[in-house]
Amino acid sequence: MLSHEENALLTQTDAGAPMGDYFRRYWLPAMLSTELPMPDGEPVRVRLLGENLIAFRNSNGRVGLLDEFCAHRRASLFWGRNEDCGLRCVYHGWKFDVDGACVDMPNEPPGYAFESKVRTTAYPTHEYGGIIWAYMGPPDRLPELPKLEWARVPQTHRYISKRFQQTNYLQAIEGGIDSSHSNFLHASMDAFRRTPAYLEQVKKSTNLRAKYHLLDRAPQFTVRKTDYGLLIAVRRDAEEDTYYWRLTQFLLPSYSMIPYQKGLSIHGHCWVPRDDQTCWVWTVSWNPDAPLSPEDWDAIQNETFVHAKVDPVTFRPIRNADNNYMIDRDRQRTITMTGIHGFASQDQAVQESMGTLVDRTRERLGTSDTAIIAMRRLLLQEVRALRQGQEPFAAHHGDVYWVRSASTVLKRDVPFEDGCRSLLAAEV
Amino acid sequence: MTDPWHIVSVSDFSQETLQRIIAHLEVSTEFEHLVYREAELDAIWSITGFFLNSETDSDQRDLVERLHKAAHEAHDLVADGRAAEAATLLRGLLNHVVP
Repeated sequence: MLSHEENALLTQTDAGAPMGDYFRRYWLPAMLSTELPMPDGEPVRVRLLGENLIAFRNSNGRVGLLDEFCAHRRASLFWGRNEDCGLRCVYHGWKFDVDGACVDMPNEPPGYAFESKVRTTAYPTHEYGGIIWAYMGPPDRLPELPKLEWARVPQTHRYISKRFQQTNYLQAIEGGIDSSHSNFLHASMDAFRRTPAYLEQVKKSTNLRAKYHLLDRAPQFTVRKTDYGLLIAVRRDAEEDTYYWRLTQFLLPSYSMIPYQKGLSIHGHCWVPRDDQTCWVWTVSWNPDAPLSPEDWDAIQNETFVHAKVDPVTFRPIRNADNNYMIDRDRQRTITMTGIHGFASQDQAVQESMGTLVDRTRERLGTSDTAIIAMRRLLLQEVRALRQGQEPFAAHHGDVYWVRSASTVLKRDVPFEDGCRSLLAAEV
Repeated sequence: MTDPWHIVSVSDFSQETLQRIIAHLEVSTEFEHLVYREAELDAIWSITGFFLNSETDSDQRDLVERLHKAAHEAHDLVADGRAAEAATLLRGLLNHVVP
């Protein structure tokens, strides 16, 4: 449980709010590079941390991210003309470059004294790993880009999607690092009921998650505070003398990774506040060693796992609250726990059903919520430290993101720190 | 020996469970310890809340209500990094708690 004050402190991200200031200390995923496919192409609206922005790729390929509304009469630059290294407002012709400088003011007399002094809000951007990143903080606190493994693999080894979610970012993170929900929300009915046929099938599986994850519904949690955030280790019973360990990272300010089994692809998320009621859910699948496999592409195309199909303009998932996420009650009776197709939609359905902003004074937590409690406490600690003038360490040390999630089976007497050490370093 | 890196399993609010939580509170100093203690106290607060919601005629209500309130206060002390004070608070209540 959190107090009202703590809940507000964690969930409010507009400029000037402490958590808003905290997020503004990091480079944040703002757009897919493919949203601005060509120089002088169409400008695109972007909403981040409660701010309405406009993005455009100028004639030289540089990306500008400006206040959406013209500095003159506040008309939207979405209608603007992207031409000759600037975005021109169609209302009176004022034109801004990617750095926010007004470079033309044609409705004023030649030699007008203020032309060179007018600027609009412009945030630095950087393209990296198929994403346009934005920095919305103080210019003298420019952070390092996070050296995430998925951002460094070749394009063929990676798939990135983003979707709009109608909740505050915090409950989306909580869903992402809560290992115990997958025994239920993402389970088949055979797994949930532990039918003999299912138990026989998983015995033969080489996929550790399939084999052990669903059989122990009350896993033991361990957390470790690290330079990047948290290492969350979840232990389930495997065989009589072994444990099945799933290790995932919570990386500041809002990344996580799904535990990786060598030989398969890795999956991760980043949740970025759009405003206090909505967030962007970024999902990445990558293979550090090879192009994504046909099985990976099948899961992406058929939305069976972490990616969901979205409207290409709004990025709202096709399965959404307005159509009850296309729940199939017959399937729910017989095949899956939810009757909703795909992990991404299942997550989104329950998270959005909680309301846009959960009242955490009313929740009933238990020891299975240890990872959630740790994440909240860490963020509170970080936010309070920033308020006292202590800059976030991870924001200025991109190397700390050089980690990888893991899952493995270890003898019961082997501590996970020893047994998993070699698995936790990124390689690419 | 009490290990603060270990999470106490909380399935009831018996004297034994509370004694174990208090013992862990008394030796908790690190970020991780405090997170585990907060999770345990969250669990005590939750299950005492379930009791109070369902056992409306129980003669133990008064005691459980006091424990519920104390768990909340202890939780907030732990959240503030004051685990030893949380232990003292709970220990003061312990002799009157539901067996």
